[in-house]
Amino acid sequence: MNEKPPTPRRGRRLTTAQSSVLAALLVTVGAIDASQPPGVDPPADNRACLRCHAMATLAYRDGTTGGLVELFIDPGRWAGSVHGELACIKCHAPDFRYYPHPQSATSEQLDCVGCHRQDQERTDYPFQTIAEQYAESIHATSEKPRARGFGCHSCHDPHGFRVSKVGRPLAEIVRDDNRVCLSCHAEVRDPLRDLHQWLPNRDAHWAAVRCIECHTPIAGGDEAQRVSHRILPAKESNLTCVNCHSGNQRLLSRLYAYRSKEDLARDGLLAKAVFNEAYVVGMSRSVLIDRLSLILIGLTALGLIAHGFGRYRAYQRSRGN
Amino acid sequence: MTAIALYLYPRWLRLWHWLSALLFLVLIVSGASMHFAGTPWLLGFKVAVPVHNTAGILLTLGWIGFVVGNLVSDNGRHYRVRLRGLVGRLIAQVRYYGYGIFHGAPHPFAVSDAMKFNVLQQLSYLGAMYLLMPLLILSGWAFLFAAYLPETLFGIGALWIVAMTHLTVAYGLALFVLVHVYVITTGETPLTNPRAMLTGWHRESGTHAP
Repeated sequence: MNEKPPTPRRGRRLTTAQSSVLAALLVTVGAIDASQPPGVDPPADNRACLRCHAMATLAYRDGTTGGLVELFIDPGRWAGSVHGELACIKCHAPDFRYYPHPQSATSEQLDCVGCHRQDQERTDYPFQTIAEQYAESIHATSEKPRARGFGCHSCHDPHGFRVSKVGRPLAEIVRDDNRVCLSCHAEVRDPLRDLHQWLPNRDAHWAAVRCIECHTPIAGGDEAQRVSHRILPAKESNLTCVNCHSGNQRLLSRLYAYRSKEDLARDGLLAKAVFNEAYVVGMSRSVLIDRLSLILIGLTALGLIAHGFGRYRAYQRSRGN
Repeated sequence: MTAIALYLYPRWLRLWHWLSALLFLVLIVSGASMHFAGTPWLLGFKVAVPVHNTAGILLTLGWIGFVVGNLVSDNGRHYRVRLRGLVGRLIAQVRYYGYGIFHGAPHPFAVSDAMKFNVLQQLSYLGAMYLLMPLLILSGWAFLFAAYLPETLFGIGALWIVAMTHLTVAYGLALFVLVHVYVITTGETPLTNPRAMLTGWHRESGTHAP
């Protein structure tokens, strides 16, 4: 799944301690984000929420971790997201209508499967399978403090999530997807402790390949789904070059399928059939089939030449007789 | 032997045959240019792709025309395998190509209005036209519209299966063309059969040795 790069957030629920410091830290000087596209209005019911949450500086400091927790919702970005037409209280507890928000409302726990478990409109995204894969992911199983509170929304901002549209440049998709990972894992690109030093053409990989291509299982899981949500720990990730750089390669197939969809969306069926700009050099490469076939064709050609020569000699003999 | 003149190749069949021959040539050159992209004496990749795809579309239309033509005309009779005595005829034909042809032996098969192909010709044409060609065409179109394919088939990448099928069948048909071009010269004279496919008339004078 590709989506607009979300701003990863954690701990969107307010604890008692958090609520108590919220009032103190509430900063009201921020205006609505100037980048909001003109003419994009949130649903009318949401105006009350956005009176506060559209303030760019709305945030509080978590009493436990000391980290700043943003409560700002970019109205323009939200309006363009897959959830942009929903009322806030469709997902959030109705008690959030009241201000100050009652304590009971702040204990809500939201995740994607809660709403999309049997979503008939999104059969291409099997949320139940995604949840099962995520449960085995290092993000869910890690006991490190930094993984505490990790959930769907840590990577997929529900207020900005957009389903990827065919036609976006591949480099942009790669960059945006990787930005999500790097927002927490910036250390992997620290030149002083380069964890990818072993990787040949490292920068080319980083520019052209998403982190998840190597940090999810190569095969297995639900094959109908393009990328597994089972993020692997570093030592279990794909370190074998031929898993990608071989004939039957998952990445090349995925790239070709994406480029095919792009062609179809842009050019239509006939132009696609004629020009097929998706074709990637090396798509049909098989050293074994090439060698065997060319040897067979070569031997056959020699055999036919020999046969023809034999016929010619026979013809000469028959003329001599 | 007596002289014979049989009209065995109607106009539509000759047109299809020579169009297919031309398309095969174009497809082999452009296909090789895509497959071995970067080889200096082949076509440039950007040129080869639309040329290959256009030729493939025309070949598909031609093949459909061929199948329909065989269904609605009596040309289809030449593709019906007669099982009785099949092995014996096969052995005789192989023996002729492998031995008799060098020793002035008579051809074991006589072209007639009822059957214009000897058994080896018939089986190889059947295999090429009704097995390899559909596979080539289907895999070619699957290549073009891979967006509609599942990512995997039987646990293997679907696109890889398509690519390997297309490649293998293409080599098989290139081999067929090579053998076909040679074997077609083994008529009464080397030009007896090619001439028949140009004029429609199969003529034998009955005076030539093989």
